[in-house]
Amino acid sequence: MNSRDRTPPEKELKVGFGSLIETRTFEVPAGDAPPWDATTKLSVVGSDADRADGRDKASGRAKYTHDIAFPGMLQAAILRAPIARGLLQNLDLEKARSMPGVAAVIALKEVGKRVRFVGDEIAAVAAPTLDLCRDALEAIVAEYAQEGHTVDFLFADGAPVLDEQGDITDPWPDAGEELTAAFAKAKTTVTGTYRTEVQTHASMESHGAVAKWTDADLDVYMSTQATFGVRGELSQAMRAAGLQCKSVTIHAEFVGGGFGSKFTAGAEGRAVALLAHAANAPVKLVLNRFEEHTCTGNRPAALMQFRAAVDEQGAIIAWDQRSWGGCGHNGQGGGIAIPDHLLAKAARRRERAHQDLATDADPARPMRAPAHPQGFFGAELCIDELAAAAGIDPLALRKQNDAQPLRLQQYELGAERFGWEQARAAAAEAKQDQHARYLRGVGCASARWGNLGNDGRGRGDGPGHGAVCRIHQDGSVEARSGAQDVGTGFKSVLTNLTAEELGIRAEQVRATAGHTTDPSGPAAGGSTTTASLAPVIRHAAFLCKQELAKKAAEHLGVAADSIVFAAGRLSAGDTSMSFGDACKLIGPNPIEMRGERFPNYKGKVFERGVCGAQFAEVEVDTWTGIVRVLRMLAIQDCGIVVAQKPAESQVLGAMIQGIGFALHEQRILDRQSGRMLNGDFLRYKVPGALDVPPMEVIMQSVANGHSNCSAAGLGEAPTCASAAAIANAVFHAIGHPVRRLPITPDKVLAALHQRGGK
Amino acid sequence: MTKDLHDGGAFSRRSFLKGASAAAVGSAALHANADAHQDGPKSYAQGAHAIALTVNGKEHRLQVETRTTLLDALRDTLDLTGAKKGCDRGACGGCTVHVDGLPVNACLMLALDAQATQITTVEGIGRPGHDHPLVLEFARCDAMQCGVCTPGMVMSSLHCLQTNANPDRASVQRAISGNICRCGTYGRICEAVAGAAKRMQGEKR
Repeated sequence: MNSRDRTPPEKELKVGFGSLIETRTFEVPAGDAPPWDATTKLSVVGSDADRADGRDKASGRAKYTHDIAFPGMLQAAILRAPIARGLLQNLDLEKARSMPGVAAVIALKEVGKRVRFVGDEIAAVAAPTLDLCRDALEAIVAEYAQEGHTVDFLFADGAPVLDEQGDITDPWPDAGEELTAAFAKAKTTVTGTYRTEVQTHASMESHGAVAKWTDADLDVYMSTQATFGVRGELSQAMRAAGLQCKSVTIHAEFVGGGFGSKFTAGAEGRAVALLAHAANAPVKLVLNRFEEHTCTGNRPAALMQFRAAVDEQGAIIAWDQRSWGGCGHNGQGGGIAIPDHLLAKAARRRERAHQDLATDADPARPMRAPAHPQGFFGAELCIDELAAAAGIDPLALRKQNDAQPLRLQQYELGAERFGWEQARAAAAEAKQDQHARYLRGVGCASARWGNLGNDGRGRGDGPGHGAVCRIHQDGSVEARSGAQDVGTGFKSVLTNLTAEELGIRAEQVRATAGHTTDPSGPAAGGSTTTASLAPVIRHAAFLCKQELAKKAAEHLGVAADSIVFAAGRLSAGDTSMSFGDACKLIGPNPIEMRGERFPNYKGKVFERGVCGAQFAEVEVDTWTGIVRVLRMLAIQDCGIVVAQKPAESQVLGAMIQGIGFALHEQRILDRQSGRMLNGDFLRYKVPGALDVPPMEVIMQSVANGHSNCSAAGLGEAPTCASAAAIANAVFHAIGHPVRRLPITPDKVLAALHQRGGK
Repeated sequence: MTKDLHDGGAFSRRSFLKGASAAAVGSAALHANADAHQDGPKSYAQGAHAIALTVNGKEHRLQVETRTTLLDALRDTLDLTGAKKGCDRGACGGCTVHVDGLPVNACLMLALDAQATQITTVEGIGRPGHDHPLVLEFARCDAMQCGVCTPGMVMSSLHCLQTNANPDRASVQRAISGNICRCGTYGRICEAVAGAAKRMQGEKR
């Protein structure tokens, strides 16, 4: 049955949140589970149920890719180029191959091909222990014809000229009539150059895989965000290598983070499969921390210039921007995204003024809200500078210009919860003392992400995303998806939706994720997983429920459609039975249904994505230049919240990563060697427990009307705002903007000096 | 060049570990001294050693190389994978285990040096069939996301509770300051430890 054969009936749904709820009409496909809306009473969804695999993880029982082992399994390691640019002139693997115990040695780059960055893959070995692998790597002879390289994007072709303050000096390109006119009638105009550094994903579980061949069938246990994507990638790679490969199955039951770096199998994924074939044994290949920092992608650097103007009434009437991305050798992925929702009244440049610059370094990969934290930092700080120049409270300026009704509420709520006015006033008053060592500042910024998931059919007519629900005779319930849980709490999405539909507790459902033998789903990226899969997970449970209701109806002597599933019972009028007793009617074969992912409903959704607002208070030590975040608040929606605690955790985590981006994190490449100087956890500083202040998160459960459960994803949105809010708080504290991340003591002291010089 | 790149620094820990035995080559004993740590640091010959490790109250006999870390011995030989290898350089705390009651980075200790000690891993902290109160509270407070740092956090938190039955937030922060969590779960870990402290006090009564 195809959803297109059905005529979708129109249905009225209450969408929105709080005082913003209104009735709208949607086309709901026939056969879908009856959609939830703002009036639906839910008992498991949005409850404080524990994360589905929380105890497995905390107890050490959870087996991640790094933890997988098989009898006779070999270890593997990769030889990487020590130069940033040049040609591979000679590669001799024979000495390594002849070492006792070394089971396989393969070339990953052909002689004569170009080395593109320090860490480029050259060859790989497999041997019983990692120590032996490293011995074998040392026995490989690789010779290079080195060429000149550039690893600093400000020295790349096409980079603009900066003055001593780091400001772009080139005149703006012609802005066109409308924008020029808007600037001409402005009351206040500001302009500034903003910069962010390369941030690495630094997942705690590095990239890695275990490959195991059984005749022509390949099983790969991989730390990946895209089980189905890497399945296809490896299948193709094995064929390209001329290997007979009947099937590829990916397993990623537990994944130790990804943040965008694990969408591809990469050279290491292909290598481990080839080594396992060559060695005729299972092989494990796990990258070390230095490789993880230097060879598995990053959030690229950004250079941005903005100019913005307000009129007498405080409307942002003109906005101009140009930007450059500091990318790796492929020169891709360096775009920026800014809070357009604040610029609805502004005249803008018509053509996009952005250029990605290539360097001889590891290429960018998507990283949590790609392009957004960079652009939001620059643009939100520019807006605060505009507010200060115009003598307007920055929150008031946002409230006046933001086009999103829900965010306007979030600003109000946030200001109240955070004590915005009092804290701003107290900080300003403390500043009156010119000898005060510590300054305080308070800032805010907005968040957004525009994704409500997809049906997985692409442009084609295929079956789309799936999910399976099974109810067994013994009362156990399974919810299964081949998509992966990278730590987001996707397994709780499986358990909570299934339990809600069946009227049982979340702990009664066993969630399984990450095996490509189960129905397909999207990669865990762009906040698409929950939005895309929640409706089909719920639909699978809905179909199982109907089957179980039929069996129970016969037993109870009532009509199947009169049975209600709630509180662990199946009830119809005065008669009822427990869920467990109903399951006993099932027989040896479980009820097993695959859900259908109907397209998102046609109709005017409440929001095209999700939105949020964040607040931060900082303390600046004027003697040392050290910035400490004192407290933070996030208000965030993600459609109807399916798994409350994991959702809150994701927002908290986004804020903490934002502290790192704002204050600490930067990849430092040595210009001479092209090598990363801080490729470890000692010198590349991700936030630690002592860097993290008390934080509060308020989740708003918003009925959007786009699917049967109105769920939206959450990974990206809160990531947009955190660094921006902190930078704005630092600006408020110092009275002078620090326009370059990370806000390290040297930059703070320079800003204090500049402020003093005024 | 290869070696340096692979080890992530001009100073190579690997060459250091490989040569850990250099001074003792002349009087090499194939079987390491079981009382290794009692008379201070010992030297060992390069190559294979048959040793015994007491992990979670149980003695295991195993073969290691001189350079094998306690972490690799636990994970690769004994299949105790609760301790994670996040950095292999003592910088992330993912491999935290207790050795004679003190939290250590298992990646910074040689397996040979762990002989004749009491080693406790996250697998050994609960009672059979019952998760440790810390595990229960980490789950209840959702003090994790991807979960790779979590067992190490549990072990650092356990030591915190063993030295202070009722730690304040700052004490917990200090106790886990050697453990990195990239997902950003520190706040909830502090809540979980506070919850576990209450639970454990309740159990004692």
